[in-house]
Amino acid sequence: MPAYWFGDVEGGSCTPFSGNAREIAERARALRISMEDFEPLNWELAVSCGICHDRAEYLAKLREACFFAAERDIREQYAGKDTELLHMVRTLDEMDTVINLLSERVVEWYQIRQPAFSRKYRRTPSNLMVRKIREKNRGALGNVAGQVESLSAARTDLAREVSSRANRVLPNTSALIGGLVAARLMAEAGGLLPLARLPASTIQVLGAKTALFAHIRTHTPSPKHGVIFQHRRVHNAPRAVRGRVSRVLAGKLAIAARLDHYRGVAVPEFLERAQEKIDAAGMEGKA
Amino acid sequence: MKWIGEVLVSYGEGGVYNERMLDGARVWDPFRSKLAALYYRGKGIELEPAMRVLYLGAANGTTVSHVADYTDTVYAVEFAPRPMQDLLVVARRRENIVPVMADAARPEQYAPLVEMVDLLYQDVAQPNQAAIAIRNSVFLKKGGVLVLMLKTRSVDIRKEPAEVFRDTIETLEANGFAVKEHVWLEPYHHDHAAIVCRKL
Repeated sequence: MPAYWFGDVEGGSCTPFSGNAREIAERARALRISMEDFEPLNWELAVSCGICHDRAEYLAKLREACFFAAERDIREQYAGKDTELLHMVRTLDEMDTVINLLSERVVEWYQIRQPAFSRKYRRTPSNLMVRKIREKNRGALGNVAGQVESLSAARTDLAREVSSRANRVLPNTSALIGGLVAARLMAEAGGLLPLARLPASTIQVLGAKTALFAHIRTHTPSPKHGVIFQHRRVHNAPRAVRGRVSRVLAGKLAIAARLDHYRGVAVPEFLERAQEKIDAAGMEGKA
Repeated sequence: MKWIGEVLVSYGEGGVYNERMLDGARVWDPFRSKLAALYYRGKGIELEPAMRVLYLGAANGTTVSHVADYTDTVYAVEFAPRPMQDLLVVARRRENIVPVMADAARPEQYAPLVEMVDLLYQDVAQPNQAAIAIRNSVFLKKGGVLVLMLKTRSVDIRKEPAEVFRDTIETLEANGFAVKEHVWLEPYHHDHAAIVCRKL
């Protein structure tokens, strides 16, 4: 029995479906159509069904329902907890790039004004350098330096927010590796669901694309870690066991991501055992 | 198709995407739209005022808006939420566009909404482009035309574009289509080909 958005058709007679745009949209979503000898609708059926009088009215009704359905679907897709976090992480990474570029540029500019100035034998971090430049210079240079500073401040705030939101969206993953790195992993994967579907071996090298493809193409040594290197347990581990630690960590992260997606709450029993395993992997080298 | 001198245009409300206007007509840029590129290559089929079109991979609605200028009704299918937001804005102002948010690879999702069409236009970045076209051919009238924009790089990045092109044509011919024209869209779009066929 063919079912269309405006009604069910059987043996030439049609049972109209009367409902507003929302109800039609719900109906269209719920209908289960088999494409085996499916016959596309003929809009004139809708007229004989008493749904509309002419094509203009037919299209207007159909469009109204389609707009409703599309807006509903967009809202549902954006309502995922990870969607905004994704944008926050990407903004954070882009801000880093911009801040680095601009502070480099500002220092270069300052060097032209102060021919005696050199960064050699100085250990001034670039944010302090930028502040000094702002204090010592008026006009455009001082202004730009000030903007870089406030951008850095905004970046710090954003990083804090990313971290706390990741703790909520990815409770298990964040517990293992920290909110910021967890959020980066998710952004690399493209979302929470895609991350939950990745095998541990992929999570281990997420963010090491260049090294991975160099390995596949030209057989350079394989990358041991990608984004997860940013976590202290990996970069503080002695070189000899770093590969082991990141492998074990990635294994536990894969499970954690699945818990985050399918359960959405922290699972203390899992976390405890996972932490032990990861710590043990780091200790093996020292024993 | 409507040309002003050497420039392809369509007649409709302008300002959709800051397109250039020429004598009150909307300029249809071949570098932005693959369908326009096809016409600039001297191929493709005439869009007629009575035509009904199923447009798979509608994206932001740029090309859709031009197709809607020429034809009767356009069913615009798009899956991703971000471009769909733009498409909805375009469709609000063009009453012959029916926006459908669904996966073109799963026609059963929108089968209750779409009627028989004269033209099936497909521009999706998926590996199984030929299969998607075949699955959607149920909406295409006998003798209707399929215009498939083949993104060879989306099918298989390791294969030569020419090989992907050949394979796709073979698959289509084995599944009830007669290929009329096929052409690369150079210099407008790289590694993109257009295949125009008729449903047998």
